Amino acid sequence: MVKRLDDMPEVEANHLRRIECPIYEDTPLLDGSPLAERRVAIISTAGLHRRGDRPFRPGDGSYRVIPAETPARELVMSHISGNFDRTGFQRDSNVVLPIDRLRELVADGVVGSMASVHYSFMGAFPPDAAKPHAQHLAGLLKADKVDAALLVPV
Amino acid sequence: MGALGHFLEREGIATTGISLVREHTETVRPPRALWVTFELGRPLGLPDDPPFQRRVVKAALDLLGRTDGPLIADYPEHVMEEADFTGWACPTSFAPMQIDSLAAEIDRLATWHDRAVAARGRKTVGVSGLDMPSAGALVDGALAGDLPPAQVLKEAIDDLKAYYLEAAAAFPDAGSARMRKEWFWSETRLSAALLALQPKLAASSDPQHKILGNLTLIPATERYRLANGR
Repeated sequence: MVKRLDDMPEVEANHLRRIECPIYEDTPLLDGSPLAERRVAIISTAGLHRRGDRPFRPGDGSYRVIPAETPARELVMSHISGNFDRTGFQRDSNVVLPIDRLRELVADGVVGSMASVHYSFMGAFPPDAAKPHAQHLAGLLKADKVDAALLVPV
Repeated sequence: MGALGHFLEREGIATTGISLVREHTETVRPPRALWVTFELGRPLGLPDDPPFQRRVVKAALDLLGRTDGPLIADYPEHVMEEADFTGWACPTSFAPMQIDSLAAEIDRLATWHDRAVAARGRKTVGVSGLDMPSAGALVDGALAGDLPPAQVLKEAIDDLKAYYLEAAAAFPDAGSARMRKEWFWSETRLSAALLALQPKLAASSDPQHKILGNLTLIPATERYRLANGR
């Protein structure tokens, strides 16, 4: 169990402390429909993509497209960091990209519907490199009638 | 991760997210975050536990109803470290001194990797497009002084790491994931090759080689553990 950086092994905590985080003056907050009426997409930053898609490269702020029906056996990970566990993903892709869990919540009526396409960035991006891609992505999400995104780090 | 929340919410898509490093989320202040205490690399907590994963997803999505952010909610469930088996040792000996080459080690793991793929129905090898003997040959060549482009080498090594750890999960008494990672970094010829390669990459005049050597090749925790003889 991981608590705060001060509880982690020093070497791991120091690595995480060195990651530069952007600071924003204010945070936008949208109101919206109840969850049972929302259409939700998953956006991962685990550097995931389909086998055969372009692997991620250092400084890469772009995203890869993961259609909702993509079988788990098609998914690979090309994140540049070696500092996180990958054996969980090797066992079960849902521990990183919970498409099956979201599908179940839709089937149970908890969530309105699921996007037809999900997306993955690679989390080590410089924010400025990702911003234009994220703005473009917002347009794609709206075209798919998505009104909420679940952001999943790694 | 939190930056995406700012970008998308500003463009009209409501966002909620999982936070693995609370200090980062406190700095970035995305609209909504569910802080979990899970291991890095496992944002949903437990592999092969759909009810647990579903509870985490639901808790994160429930935050969409709130507009009093930026907010960080604490997820109440925690994951204890996998049980270790005292005295566990890799049941199949792959100790470097008993195998004459990286190629032989890769070959010997093939049957275990086949078993792993048969059991799981999937593999995560396949970023580089190389087969494992070719990926191993690339590492051998790099060690001999023929450094390929960093991205080519990185993708080959990603695949080899996945191949080894997937194969080890199919050993008869596979132990915990942590133990298999220790096995990988302490006992395999591949890890010895990567550790020998690291200073060569770090000393390269190519900045991409430096990134690979200093950031990607060897986890910070393993570098520390190995340097301190633990």
